[in-house]
Amino acid sequence: MNFITCRDLTREYKKGDTIIKPLDGVDLDITSGDFLALMGPSGSGKTTLLNLVAGIDSPTNGSLVIDGTDLSKLSRNKLAAWRSKHVGYVFQLYNLVPVLTAYENVELPLLLHDLSKKQRHERIQIALERVGISDRAEHFPRQLSGGQEQRVAIARAIATDPDIIVADEPTGDLDKSSAHAVMQLLQTLNSELGKTIVMVTHDPKTTEYATRTLHLEKGKLVEAEAVA
Amino acid sequence: MKIIRCFPYVTKQITRHRVRSLLTVFGIAIAMFLFTSVQAMNDGVLEATTATASDTTLVVYREDRYCPATSQLPQDYQRRIEGIDGVSSVTPMMVVVSNCRTSLDVVTFRGVPKESFLSGAGKGIEVISGSAEDWLSRTDAALLGETLANRRGLKPGMRFDAAGITATVAGIVRSDNPQDQNVAYTALEFVQLAGRDRLGIVTQFNVKVTDSALLDPVADEIDEMFRTAQEPTATFGEKAFIGRLADDIIELVGFARWLGLGCLAAVLALVANSIVLGVQSRIAEHAVLQTLGYKSWVIAVLIIAEGVLLCAIGGLLGAVVALSVARSGNYALSVEGTSIPIVADYGLLLMGLVVCVVIGVIAGLVPAWQASRRSIVECFRAV
Ligand SMILES: Nc1ncnc2c1ncn2[C@@H]1O[C@H](COP(=O)(O)OP(=O)(O)O)[C@@H](O)[C@H]1O
Ligand SMILES: [Mg+2]
Repeated sequence: MNFITCRDLTREYKKGDTIIKPLDGVDLDITSGDFLALMGPSGSGKTTLLNLVAGIDSPTNGSLVIDGTDLSKLSRNKLAAWRSKHVGYVFQLYNLVPVLTAYENVELPLLLHDLSKKQRHERIQIALERVGISDRAEHFPRQLSGGQEQRVAIARAIATDPDIIVADEPTGDLDKSSAHAVMQLLQTLNSELGKTIVMVTHDPKTTEYATRTLHLEKGKLVEAEAVA
Repeated sequence: MKIIRCFPYVTKQITRHRVRSLLTVFGIAIAMFLFTSVQAMNDGVLEATTATASDTTLVVYREDRYCPATSQLPQDYQRRIEGIDGVSSVTPMMVVVSNCRTSLDVVTFRGVPKESFLSGAGKGIEVISGSAEDWLSRTDAALLGETLANRRGLKPGMRFDAAGITATVAGIVRSDNPQDQNVAYTALEFVQLAGRDRLGIVTQFNVKVTDSALLDPVADEIDEMFRTAQEPTATFGEKAFIGRLADDIIELVGFARWLGLGCLAAVLALVANSIVLGVQSRIAEHAVLQTLGYKSWVIAVLIIAEGVLLCAIGGLLGAVVALSVARSGNYALSVEGTSIPIVADYGLLLMGLVVCVVIGVIAGLVPAWQASRRSIVECFRAV
């Protein structure tokens, strides 16, 4: 059964008189438990597609239904509430809040849920342990390496136990061994916890961890090949 | 409410951007110190010059004179004023000041007939240390207003020197009337004989009437009585009298209120600047929060809360320091024998705090609104 269904998904931007179409009529089905890698040249619309799936942007045309919810019909506030329940976002540059410790960063999304301090503490511990960084809980982002920061960011993304994880070039800024560790982590989240993952990547090697790889070019999907 | 849980995020933004926060708070505190000080003076002017329904005191002065050195009236006017209907007491006073100019530390002597004073013009006075008996029995004894005594560090039994008069402190007094708080009461003849012989001459009469409604008719009657005399009189309600002699101070304080408003504008600019810079440097951070599921109005509230918190800390600091300085200094603005107190009460503290918090909200409104309107993906692209 389809978990994420995109039909004629289009995103346009108006810049003066010209209209830019980073995403141009994409049809895409993603099954629950998929680990999808999106590749394509720079500017092909990968981030745009990912942002739509993550619910931080809205399509100008077409429909995007995730687990029965039509995202294109949700208001800004409803969309925020939906994100807090269903999506964890992993950025290329980690985007941790610099004045907060690793622990406090992971706590941020949990503050929106009806949890006691104790319940939050448990969730944070579990998330930090899963990414293998419990010993750095009290460190600030500037005291961590890139790989460690990305692991904290992943902990933040999974703390609320979302069904979907989106990742935009999560290893784009990491050295080889850190990248490998992060990819293994994502793979475990997919295989052991059953998270549906949509990942944008530049590095063909990282697609080995995915169950499926798709290519975007000029806002359209060009070929689809199942790797798994 | 869930949003309460997010406030530690606000306090951490402040405590962990320590230098930026300290500078902002310091600036706010200085501006609010000035604002509160001006406000304390303004409150003092209002307290000293605003007539109330319970006022029953008239001051009889020499017509067209504006200072104690030139206002001279024959002491025997007392008998004739006492004869007017509605007058309950008449206290002749000779006023001598240590400094003719406006100053924060003037000693004002008021020579009064001791025997009748405590039941007449001095009725509302409470002796808080020393004793009234001492004062009555010694020629050079003085009863000091609390403000004056505290400012000069004087206690019962001590001798002090001012305006060419040497007196001994017999007691310290407290009164609701700011004029009593900042003077030294001594025997009338003692002041009249100090320096040169002015027996039989007084500066003014303080007249108590039985009902505040009688203030105007009695004042008119007194002035009418002496209209053709060698030394004609001009009679005013006490508060109006203070307003007349201290008008240059009052004008200055009125002008200072503009400076006070300027201070508020400075606080607004300072906080707005701090918030705008903070919001600009955190565009991506706010986008991240929204990505995590924070609603845009929550972001707006957090931004405003940060401004309010900075303002509250700075405002409280400034107001507390201003209050402490005013209290410990026991200042009063004195001119021509009148006294404008500097009022430093907790109402002032509260006022400063409220004003500051309102400024904090105003300063945060526009940046908060802008931050909450921006689209998330635009924010990520902007950095
Ligand atoms: N808000 C926007 N305004 C204008 N152009 C945009 C905007 N967002 C994306 N684009 C354009 O759309 C194209 C695709 O962007 P993006 O999805 O970020 O590409 P990718 O992630 O594949 O490199 C780019 O040419 C980009 O300049
Ligand atoms: Mg991209």
